[in-house]
Amino acid sequence: MPLLTVQNLKVHFPIRGGILLTAKGAVKAVDGVDLVIHPGETLGLVGESGCGKSTTGKAIVRLIEPTAGKIEFEGRDLATLSRRALKPVRRHVQMIFQDPAESLNARHSVGNILEEPFIIHKLGAPDERRRRVRELLDRVGLPRSAADRFPFEFSGGQRQRIGIARSIALNPKLVICDEPVSALDVSIQSQVLNLLLDLQRELSLSYLFIAHDLAVVRHISDRIAVMYLGRIVEQADADEIHRGPRHPYTRALISAIPEPDPRRQSNRIVLKGDVPSPINPPPGCPFHPRCPRATDRCRVDAPALRPAAAGRAGHLVSCHYDL
Amino acid sequence: MTANANENLLEVRDLVTGFDTDAGRVVAVDGISFSVRKGATLGIVGESGCGKSVTALSIVRLLPQPMGKILGGEVRFQGENLTTAPPDRLIKIRGGRIGFIFQEPMTALNPVHRVGRQLGEVFLLHNPGMSKRDALRRSIEMLAKVGIPSPEIRAGEYPHQLSGGMRQRVVIAMALANHPDLVIADEPTTALDVTIQAQILELMRDLQREFGMSIMLITHDLGVIAETCQDVLVMYAGKIAETGAVGQIFDRPGHPYTRGLLDSIPRMDNPRKSRLKTIDGMVPGLLELPPGCRFQNRCPYRTELCEKRQPALEPIEPGHAVACHHWRMLPPAPTPKQ
Repeated sequence: MPLLTVQNLKVHFPIRGGILLTAKGAVKAVDGVDLVIHPGETLGLVGESGCGKSTTGKAIVRLIEPTAGKIEFEGRDLATLSRRALKPVRRHVQMIFQDPAESLNARHSVGNILEEPFIIHKLGAPDERRRRVRELLDRVGLPRSAADRFPFEFSGGQRQRIGIARSIALNPKLVICDEPVSALDVSIQSQVLNLLLDLQRELSLSYLFIAHDLAVVRHISDRIAVMYLGRIVEQADADEIHRGPRHPYTRALISAIPEPDPRRQSNRIVLKGDVPSPINPPPGCPFHPRCPRATDRCRVDAPALRPAAAGRAGHLVSCHYDL
Repeated sequence: MTANANENLLEVRDLVTGFDTDAGRVVAVDGISFSVRKGATLGIVGESGCGKSVTALSIVRLLPQPMGKILGGEVRFQGENLTTAPPDRLIKIRGGRIGFIFQEPMTALNPVHRVGRQLGEVFLLHNPGMSKRDALRRSIEMLAKVGIPSPEIRAGEYPHQLSGGMRQRVVIAMALANHPDLVIADEPTTALDVTIQAQILELMRDLQREFGMSIMLITHDLGVIAETCQDVLVMYAGKIAETGAVGQIFDRPGHPYTRGLLDSIPRMDNPRKSRLKTIDGMVPGLLELPPGCRFQNRCPYRTELCEKRQPALEPIEPGHAVACHHWRMLPPAPTPKQ
């Protein structure tokens, strides 16, 4: 049974104007997303800035209220739960943010930050909580003395370790990682990715790993979903996305990654233009204005996400002309 | 390659740049020497705080004032010493023979001026006697050249009305307006999405072919280096760790740091979910640099010698130099994949 099933998730932000601030339109940040995450699995969610990947992650934990859709976690629909009913579920769904400098309270010591989840959920006696804090610090590779220090005393990589420690404090089942290594230097990035892989193995965690760097996402994920303008355009096994991408956008995205090998410069598909605004998404296929293969049909008729004509089971693609 | 191509446009010798802070003097760039060949692209790669941006700012003396100071060495551009040039001479050179592209186009553009006017200013400053109307016409031509659709309309817009990729194109147009001989690009695509990065890198390559300028490209992304540069400089904690032609650096990396960097990038052909190689620990703070080699606390090949003496940059083959005491003893670099 899947751990998480997201069905037709929509997040629309109203644009208000006029004296009465009536809604004049909406930014359709997430516009009908379906996702499934199985226990112990990593689903990578990639896309460029503004495609709605972070909003999707935040809507799943209801840091942003979804406009429509179902978020089924272990058989319960989180989208309709009251705040009170949501709280016990939040123990099992945690989040790691991109910028640990912003997501850690600068006025609290690291010990307090890590103890807070236990206090909120009324777990353990004080000395037991402090023992757990020491265990967490060991687990993420920070010295125990870190408990008495403050976030600003740590480097970016160490702060991300604090954020990870906090997210695993209550033994969650699912961790939503929103660009967790994007702000880090490469040598530190690989340390943090290794830590996430180790923790997954030891604690049988599931991850929704949101990032724009396809090489990083491919490395850590079992399956990958590619998002464009609020929708998922392709979803498949991580290796298959890389070896046999079927959507023209995924192909361009993969070919745009600069290869760190001067002799292996691939033939690049350079897309024309920018991502259109999610306020006025183009009619038909959202990718058609930049698609090298767009036809008249693409301009009027939006393709559905359906099984790819070739490729393994579970490979989904949303293109009329499934390549 | 003609003899001309080997001529150096820019030569930096023993450059030392420091900042006076409350905690004392921080030396961010500590005695580095390199040159940029005519028509070629030199890539400077390194992690945050290694001194790559400070090097770029030192060349045209745009260091934050009053803290930033060039403490030693010289910068020769087309034979002229820029470290001692008077300020009005530098004003002529910046935006004239040396163009600049910064990482975040929103901070490089003035938010209250229309794009056409900002770009026109670059022409007016360097071409005395040019009329405003001509400057605007040249600006529109330049916007078209960097691939901005409907440049006449865009010239009348403000920076916030443009997308990130469009803004970076405007900054490139400003940098190239007066056909510079050298363009210094500091992380020009870091703030952009990969599909837009691909557009911008292609644009820079095309314009280099057309104008024949040299580029000094500063980035932390080894992929961007492999794709755009002929020569590479690897910096670590204010010093040069390794320098050579792009093929030498990627095929036969000689410094343990360069090897560590190349090993720690997740590549599309690595086995999935395998542990990545890492460089343990982190860069030492510039105020607490160890005596001896600056990479010693993270280096798997460290010996007593490394703790005592700083390694000098030694040539290991023509055009390829490494600052490591033990480069001869390191295991051969893994053979590159075909």
